[in-house]
Amino acid sequence: MNWQWFHRLGSPRWFYQTTERWLPWLYLAALTILSVGLTWGLAFAPEDAKQGNSFRIIYIHVPASFLALAGYYIMASAGAIGLIWKMKLSYMVMKAAAPIGAALTFVALVTGAIWGKPTWGAYWVWDARITSMLILLFLYLGVIALQYAYQSVDAASKAGAILALVGTVNIPIIYKSVDWWYTLHQPATIKLTSAPSMHPDMFQPLLVMILGFYIFYALALIVGTRSEILRRERKTGWVRELAAAEVRS
Amino acid sequence: MTMYFNSVADLLAMDGHGVYVWSAVAITLIVMAWVLVAPLISRRQLLRDVARDIQRESQRQSAGSTSKTKNEEKP
Amino acid sequence: MTRQFNSGFSAWLKRDLVLAYRRRGDAAGPLLFFVMVSTLIPLGLTPESARLADVAAGMIWVMALLATLLSMDALFADDHRDGSLEQLLISPQLLPMPILGKMTAHWFITGLPLTLASPLLGLMLSLPAAGFVPMLCSLAVGTACLSLIGGVGAALTVSLRKGGLLLSLLVMPLYMPVIIFGSATVGYALDGLNWLPPLAALGAMLAASVALCPLAAAGALRITSVN
Repeated sequence: MNWQWFHRLGSPRWFYQTTERWLPWLYLAALTILSVGLTWGLAFAPEDAKQGNSFRIIYIHVPASFLALAGYYIMASAGAIGLIWKMKLSYMVMKAAAPIGAALTFVALVTGAIWGKPTWGAYWVWDARITSMLILLFLYLGVIALQYAYQSVDAASKAGAILALVGTVNIPIIYKSVDWWYTLHQPATIKLTSAPSMHPDMFQPLLVMILGFYIFYALALIVGTRSEILRRERKTGWVRELAAAEVRS
Repeated sequence: MTMYFNSVADLLAMDGHGVYVWSAVAITLIVMAWVLVAPLISRRQLLRDVARDIQRESQRQSAGSTSKTKNEEKP
Repeated sequence: MTRQFNSGFSAWLKRDLVLAYRRRGDAAGPLLFFVMVSTLIPLGLTPESARLADVAAGMIWVMALLATLLSMDALFADDHRDGSLEQLLISPQLLPMPILGKMTAHWFITGLPLTLASPLLGLMLSLPAAGFVPMLCSLAVGTACLSLIGGVGAALTVSLRKGGLLLSLLVMPLYMPVIIFGSATVGYALDGLNWLPPLAALGAMLAASVALCPLAAAGALRITSVN
């Protein structure tokens, strides 16, 4: 089988130049889909019988949570690819993925807290989902901190990849443990989302928002990776030419 | 499809829940914008630094000093 | 080929135990911390027996976790400083086995004394009688997990200057399932339920940790100790 495409992917320069063409489309797609989804969910969807209009936060909270978790696996996969195939570019993707995932986890936590106030009367409730999200945030911050602590880029990348993989193994364990812990102390669990039993009028904008967030994530990952490429390849000829051209313009 | 709310004022108020919903939306949009903008700012800064290094090196070379360029190791 | 099968496990276990014994004062640090911090709880909370009894189980577990966390740094730090870690890396043994020996030694030095001291703390914090045996069992198994998991963090941060603090931050999320099931073991017992299931979950975590953590730590050491 022709693996050339895979190994070409390992070239940071190729990645940088190829994605240059994709960016405008990604910006457009993200902007459009998110606007459509947000308007639909905030202004057009019916309100919830029990929670009233505050349930609309779901259109941000749920997609952010999805991407926060998916983002961690993407980051860990990038780390694994870097460790196995020793691909520099993969490490750069991993480094870029960490702050994006952390930011989305933060959004999920904050929107969850804001949602909690009108629904349960308190900003912070130690329920299984929020607690798991908080632990996920700590895992992200750990990966970010570890990479910054090392002077050598190579060691930083490998250590970060190992930590990300250790976290990956732990995430299901953590989620299940926290879930179990929560049922110990709070037998009556209120589900924030009961997606299957959601009315289609409420569910469809949610799907649009989830799609929009995925596109946003792809966009942010590409933008972040490009910046990281420039930083790590700043001694090479093509980056220097780029810098010279940028300054001239 | 018609809008669920009767007016823009209603949309903002959302029967008293507007504060929560709109602050959540605002925070989310700010964070998302920051995630996209921060790498762009650092990119521009980096390119400027690189250009400045190139300039310094060419100045040093034209001044007739050693042909070795100073190797700065940034962490 | 079958003549020599010295995996290095017992050699390094013994080595670390002997070294710790020579520096008994240092090794006693976590235990002292554990006992002293238990005084902070009534000072910070309340001296009332009933209220202490409510929180005793969880607080003892939290303090055991913190005490273990404090001592995790020392797993590889001294060896890194005096060069024996490099010797370990170039030795012919499979790296995970000596590492498992060190982690086991760490448990004997830190986890086991904490476990044995826990009845004393239970007494001081008004832990109900039903909780003592479950506390011993859960701490015995749980601190072993903590030594193993913490060892991975120690391996990742061994060559860093402020490694200790970063180590704590990295390892904390990984410790959370252990404390959940550990304190739940005692909690179940205090509620009059069968406390073996959560203990079994802890046991499963221990089994998985014994299998995986030395491997992860070995991988991490190969990367990080060259810097």
